[in-house]
Amino acid sequence: MRENNISRRDFIKITGTTALSMTLPALPISSAFSAPQKFLIEGVGQTSGYSVKALVKKVFDAAGGIEKFIAKKDVVGLKPNISWARSPNLAVTTHPEVMEAVASLCFSAGAAKVMFLDHTIHDARRCFAITGATAAAKNSGATLVHPTSRHFKDMNLKGSRLTVWPVFVPFKEVDKIINIPVAKVHRLSGLTLGMKNWIGAVGGRRNALHQDIHTTIVDLAQYFKPDLTLIDATRILVKNGPSGGSEADVFQANRLILSNDPVAADAKAATLFDINMDSLAFIKKAEKWGLGTTKLSTLSNKKVII
Amino acid sequence: MRRFRQVIQILSLCFFLYLVSHTKLPHDLYIDYTAVLNAEESIHLEQPVTFYFMINPLVMVSSLLSAGIWISGFLWAVAVIILTLFLGRIFCGFICPFGAVHTIVSEIQPKKHKPLKPSAYQVKYSLLIMILLASCIGLNIAGFIDPISFLFRSLALSVFPAVGTGFREIFEWLSASDIKWLNWSSLVLEESFFAPVFGYNFNAFYGGWFIGMLFLFIALLNRVKPRFFCTVLCPLGALLGICSRFSMLKILVDQSKCTSCKKCASICPGSARLSDSPYEISNNAECLRCFNCMETCPTDAISVAFNIPKNTKGPDIGRRVVLSGLTAGITFPLLGRLDGIVHKVSPPELIRPPGALPEKQFLELCIRCGLCMKVCPTNAINPTLSEAGIAGFWTPRLVMIQGYCEYTCTLCTEVCPTGAIQKLTSQEKTSQPVRIGSAYVDRGRCLPWSGNGPCIVCEEHCPVSPKAIHMKEMAGDKNIQLPYVDLNACVGCGICENKCPVRGKPAIRVICAGESRSVRNRIML
Repeated sequence: MRENNISRRDFIKITGTTALSMTLPALPISSAFSAPQKFLIEGVGQTSGYSVKALVKKVFDAAGGIEKFIAKKDVVGLKPNISWARSPNLAVTTHPEVMEAVASLCFSAGAAKVMFLDHTIHDARRCFAITGATAAAKNSGATLVHPTSRHFKDMNLKGSRLTVWPVFVPFKEVDKIINIPVAKVHRLSGLTLGMKNWIGAVGGRRNALHQDIHTTIVDLAQYFKPDLTLIDATRILVKNGPSGGSEADVFQANRLILSNDPVAADAKAATLFDINMDSLAFIKKAEKWGLGTTKLSTLSNKKVII
Repeated sequence: MRRFRQVIQILSLCFFLYLVSHTKLPHDLYIDYTAVLNAEESIHLEQPVTFYFMINPLVMVSSLLSAGIWISGFLWAVAVIILTLFLGRIFCGFICPFGAVHTIVSEIQPKKHKPLKPSAYQVKYSLLIMILLASCIGLNIAGFIDPISFLFRSLALSVFPAVGTGFREIFEWLSASDIKWLNWSSLVLEESFFAPVFGYNFNAFYGGWFIGMLFLFIALLNRVKPRFFCTVLCPLGALLGICSRFSMLKILVDQSKCTSCKKCASICPGSARLSDSPYEISNNAECLRCFNCMETCPTDAISVAFNIPKNTKGPDIGRRVVLSGLTAGITFPLLGRLDGIVHKVSPPELIRPPGALPEKQFLELCIRCGLCMKVCPTNAINPTLSEAGIAGFWTPRLVMIQGYCEYTCTLCTEVCPTGAIQKLTSQEKTSQPVRIGSAYVDRGRCLPWSGNGPCIVCEEHCPVSPKAIHMKEMAGDKNIQLPYVDLNACVGCGICENKCPVRGKPAIRVICAGESRSVRNRIML
């Protein structure tokens, strides 16, 4: 006779608890304790010469207004992608009008301070000037932080590939974070969207991240959890990413995507590109890690058109 | 008069230091963030950083002789020569910032010194003759010892970076502190006072220590003999000395008042007053216009006067000095050609800044002043040691493991005082395009090529569109993409080498082959 035979009583116990635990998440009681309603808002600029700033305002309004996310006296960190010293028309960096509009909205909600935070690849000062970030900061009253060695401290990212890594400290000191990446193609990760934008929030040997790009993107995404993600797809880079360099590489997509689910935002933005979703391993991994969902229909979907 | 001179000298030195510290990306880009650029237009310097080179007659004469070029700014140098014709070496006494450095070292706690042998003062004429003859043959060596170039190079490539490194290490230490106010005050000090002058990064320059030691040595020579450099070595002083022969400004001695105490002779930094003839009208060519003698004379016997020059005596040069200068002047450029870099050999690591002239013309004009090296925002431009041969010692080259050539940046082309690096706009630089070299992949080191995993860092950073680095999937493993360089598209900017995860000797490197300035070095048909 074998020793590890399951008795009838044990069998009932095990199956019972398993069944119960599997059904629990589906019960309404569990959703009452989880995060607030996930939403996905798509802003479309249909009229030619539409105002990007107005579109930004509209998508935030559709989400219930910026006041829902930014409290009075909050210090807000905005994470644009201004890594390359390229002019805005080349679609390599976040549109300065998007940056300006989001910063102004944060101030209108009573934010005490708004900072543009990005650890650039090209010389930061040149990036600031050429991407239009200086203009955005000046017009909105936001602060541009010049990343220097003092801004980086080793922190434990608790990722599966990344453990102790230098982090751009202001991100850990702000009250709220809004990720405002630009959508563009990338040779290795497929696309550069919201989650990959966090590579600009760390220092150290960033050029080694490419050896396992999808895992490191997810590692960073689970460490930097933004309150909102606004993907700038007003114009997208469809060739020669991520640094582009020619207007021939640019496609006017006239879209803005706002979500409080970073994975859903990326998944939605990816549909703008002619790319196989299966090749975007970082999105699938992020979903597996529970950072969000790619089942866009489960979110509260809204579309605003201008 | 002496006090007045000292004030003017200090002001001139301060202005020079101001210009040195402003030889960088414009100030507003750094501090106010007010610069707003609509497109990738050129970023211009705000200050006339070449001012002291434009008023330098030695730079003017040597580049006229070597390359036959005239730069509009050289009108300033002509003005200085005219000024010298009237007033003597007033440039040396009042304007020259290097002279001011020597004055400070000499006149703080002046100490007694023995006069040098008269022949010592002839050395500078020999050096001047050497520079002028070498220029005629086609090698500009003025910058080795020209005071303005010497001072700029010493400050920009050694003093400033050394001080900067020292302070930056202190700031790093403070910023790591857990004491909040230490942390905060170091940020304020660094961002508002320190970094605008010394820069935001640790800057490094090849052989900077040697440039610094030489500067220190030349400065300390003033303790042996006041203004040693100005009176013994300075070729610009020699040139101005020759021009001052007919100077109307004279320093006269009233013989009825003179008591032959010879105090004037002992305080004269030059050999303008030889101790055995204190009554003589001072020798204009050697007089630095420091007016120390006037100030010292206990009986006020010395005065200045304007009169029409009569019975003038030229500088005491001597046949041997002329011959030695001529010998050196012909030897140096010819021996300098023996490494073959002008005619035959292309050293792979000699990557000149964008807009640099072909090597021969480049050596005719480059005065090794260090302006391009100071202004480079990524610290890529470094002085050469042996890479350009002895004739090209201290000329600029790009070191991609230190920095890279920003695709649209044209600052180095804008600051070159002699046009050895021709002016470019961002538009010209990117559309022609100006190539400074070309990249090649070292497959044994490259991560994907050597089978160590995926990496596309070089491709990702490539700034040209379409990219000069493209990836092909490895046969058998679709996850590994292998980098290839398209030589028709590569401009040699070196950002791939700079960002390559293989440090020290990166897996993708830039060599001078393919540079557009040299027909010989081009690769593609």
